[in-house]
Formats: sequence, structure tokens, C-alpha cells
Amino acid sequence: MADADIDCRGLKCPEPVLKTRKALAEGAGNFTVLVDNETARDNVSRFARTSGRDVKVTETDGGFLIAITPAAGKAEQTAAEVPMSCDSVTRTVIFVSSDEIGTGESELGVTLMKSFMSSAAEADDLPSTMIFMNSGVRLVTENEETIENLDRLTDRGVDILVCGTCLDYYGLTERLKVGRVSNMYEIQSALISAPKLVCI
Amino acid sequence: MGPGDLEQILSALPEESAPELLTSLRTGEDAGVYRISQRLAIVQTVDFFPPIVDDPYTFGQITAANALSDVYAMGGRPITALNIVAFPCGIDLQVLEKILLGGHDKIHEAGAVIVGGHTIDDDELKYGLAVTGLVDPAKMTTIAGARPGDVLVLTKPIGTGILATALKAGLLTEEEMGEAVASMRALNREAADILNRYRVHACTDVTGFGLVGHLYEMVKAGGVSAELWAGEVPLFERTLEMVSMGMVPEGKKRNFEYAKNVDLRTKEEDDLMLECLYDPQTSGGLLASVESSDADSALEELRGAPCPRATAVGTVSEGPGGAIIIIHGRSG
Repeated sequence: MADADIDCRGLKCPEPVLKTRKALAEGAGNFTVLVDNETARDNVSRFARTSGRDVKVTETDGGFLIAITPAAGKAEQTAAEVPMSCDSVTRTVIFVSSDEIGTGESELGVTLMKSFMSSAAEADDLPSTMIFMNSGVRLVTENEETIENLDRLTDRGVDILVCGTCLDYYGLTERLKVGRVSNMYEIQSALISAPKLVCI
Repeated sequence: MGPGDLEQILSALPEESAPELLTSLRTGEDAGVYRISQRLAIVQTVDFFPPIVDDPYTFGQITAANALSDVYAMGGRPITALNIVAFPCGIDLQVLEKILLGGHDKIHEAGAVIVGGHTIDDDELKYGLAVTGLVDPAKMTTIAGARPGDVLVLTKPIGTGILATALKAGLLTEEEMGEAVASMRALNREAADILNRYRVHACTDVTGFGLVGHLYEMVKAGGVSAELWAGEVPLFERTLEMVSMGMVPEGKKRNFEYAKNVDLRTKEEDDLMLECLYDPQTSGGLLASVESSDADSALEELRGAPCPRATAVGTVSEGPGGAIIIIHGRSG
């Protein structure tokens, strides 16, 4: 049996994730977690990826050894910058109903939107959900710059809801690059139940 | 127990048969139905489990709603209930009092009465109820009977297993999973009343085997196949977020292995959603196989009052019996 930094054999979910979370919170860079079942393997791997880490799983005798390393290109990232828990994910919902910010010259509006998405991807405080409607769906289908930043937000645990009717209307259904298709019921419910709603 | 192990054990036991017995253990019915006269049959079911929320009164309510649900899934009306309690020494008795009060209130809301119960000492607290109901055998809805062309209607969102795991892990508070708690303690009575007014060919409630597991039982019993639309299935708030935080409960794997003959045609975007489709539910909604021309009106009525998030999540097709195709959205 391979040596591991954290031995989670015999532990029930969610214990293996909590031990991994603690290690990340304490600033661990490269470390291994040993688990003895597939559910724990999948949960720990998914949690580590959500926290911006690279994950490599090796099957060992009667278990799985999960090697967790800082994500490629993010080697300098400190533990503090990574969402270790939901604590850093606020319950804010951001509602984006256009592909530009404000009314005025379109060119300026589009530039502002790109800049907003790039700032949001860098921010410490994350929204829990972002909703894209009407021409806002261009930001998750056509606009490569915003897609890249929204990808990062997804990796950090933000749920991105995209209006299915709007994708259909603009003929962009097949071009969805980030987020998941949603419907008016879910969107309505997310808007109504949001403790804090930001509309841009 | 996982559904696979249970199926194996049940198939090893001698099969019950009596002229009055209208259900079989083999088909995965929600409750047993025994005819006592031409127009009347009793519906019996039992359910118990350890706490899934911290508040004892809420836990009592959820447990009772969950136990009653099997009667509603069969189209029946609950009349009596018996409490089942496993209680560790050393826990404040007030906790038990609150649990039982929660159960009592929910049973009364359903128009039934608690007629007794049984308690034992145990290391882990568990509460549940055995519920008896009445149904007209000609009008009961079983898990078998889904017909090709039917629309699959789900009355409540899913994700309670994942959220309860996150609650246990301290990633969520009970207030933050408020939508799921409200849903778990909501009776399926009104949803069943509405569905009973439409042409519903099969019905079951979504509980421990997860949405796919219960759909599998339905299509297996009906000798039909189904298409399930992953992108349409309603989820409780924060469920996907909690999947990405590694909060999938162990029961998911058992459910995944149980539902054989599932053809996964989703793309990567649905990977987190797939975890939810197999998530064991507590006091989940009804999954009904509805005549397609009735589906829109039934959904509208369901959404109008008791089930704001009721959704069409798939369709039934010709056999092979028990086959399920999971795709992102409705085809054609």
C-alpha cells in the first residue's frame, strides 16, 4: 500500500473531503490522499479541482491514491486565493440581461462588459450564481474573452445559468461554451430567492 | 440498503401470492396493497432513517411526509400511522418529544391519526412510521403501466442527499438549505390529488434510489424504456455547487450500479448534473408517467399551487423494458 499524506481509508463521506479541505486551508501545496472507495475518490478529486488544483488518481491495492498539486500555471497561487470552502462564495446572484453594460455607445458598453467579467474572475468575493438572458447569452457563446473569464468563475464554483429560450432565439444553442442551460422556472426562483441581486 | 442488494435478497425469498394481494415485492412498488372488499383495499408502507436535519421537530415532519408519500404515490389516502423509534440513552428526552410532535402534526395534516408505536435503545437515533391507507383498487396507480408516448412529470426538485451531506460537513446551514427542507416536509397529497384527475399510467415517489433508480424501476415494471432530459431536471438551490465541493453521498454509487441498461449520451457540461440524477432523495416528489396530451395541463395545475417547480423531465418509449437514455435536453 502506497504511503499517503492523508489516509482516509475507512472514513465515510464527507470526511475525506473535510480532511482534504483542512490540508488546503493550512496551505498544503503538493500532497496525497488515500481513499478506499470510488465515491470518496470522485468527491475528493472534484473538490480539489473546484479549489483550483490539479488532480492525479492512481489505483492502488484496494484503494485510490489521489495526488493533489497546484494547477499548472497557477504554481504561485497561494492557498488564501483559492476558495477553500463556500465561505468565500457569497449568496449574491448576478443577472446579466445584455451583452453590454448600460445604454450609450455600443462599443463602450461591450468593452465595459468584458472588463467587468475579467474583474469578477479575479475578485475574492464570488457570486453563487450568474444568470445570462437575452443578448447576455452572447457572453457565454460568442465572446471568447468573456468565456475565458466565465470558465474561471465556473472552476471557482460559480453556477452559471443560461436562458435556453434566449439561446434558441439567437440560434446559439449549439455554441454554448460555458454554463448550463436553464429555464425560466429555475431563473425566476434564483432571482426571487437571492439575498443579494446585482443586475448589470 | 442499496437497491441492488435488496433486489437480490427479495428474489431469493419465496414470492408472496394471495388473491387479495394486488402488488408484488418484485416490481418495486412503493407500498403493499391488499384488497378487503371489491371497492376497497388497504395500502401499507414503512420507512425509517437517521436524522438528516438538525432540528428535531423538522426531522419528525420530514420523516412523516416521507412515509406518507408511498401511500400518495399509489393514489391512496392515509388513515393511520404507527411510530418506530430507535433512541440512544443519554439524549435529552425533549428531543424525542419534538421529533414525535413533528411526526404527529404532519400525520394530522394528512388527515390520518397515530395509533401507537414501538421504541428500542440503539446507538444511533432513528425515526420512522408505518402508514396504512385506503385505496379503490380500480383507481390505484402502480409503478407499472407507463405507456410509450407518456411524458414523465417530476413534482419536486432533487438534491436532498447532496445537500444533507453538505449540512453534515458544515458547508451549509439548515437555513441555507431552506428550499430543500420546505420541500422535504411538504406532503405529496395535493400533487397526487391533481395527478389523479389526469390520465396517469404509472406513478412512484422519488426517494432512496434516486431519480434514475426509481425511473428504472418504473420502466422495468412497465416493460418500456425512457428518455431522461438531464438539463431539464429541477435542482434545489446550491446543489450543483455542493457537488463541485465533493458532497456526493455514498448511496449515489449504489444507485448508479443498480440502474443497469442506462445509455449516457450527455456531454461534459452535464457531469455535475449526473451526480444529482442518482442522488438518494428523502421525501422526494412524485414521478408520474402522464398521457402526453394531459401533460401540459397537469403541469400547469401542479405549478399553480403545490409544486411550483414541477417539470417534464423525459418521455416513455417502446421497450426494451428497463432501458433509459439520458440526454441533455428533449430530442425532436
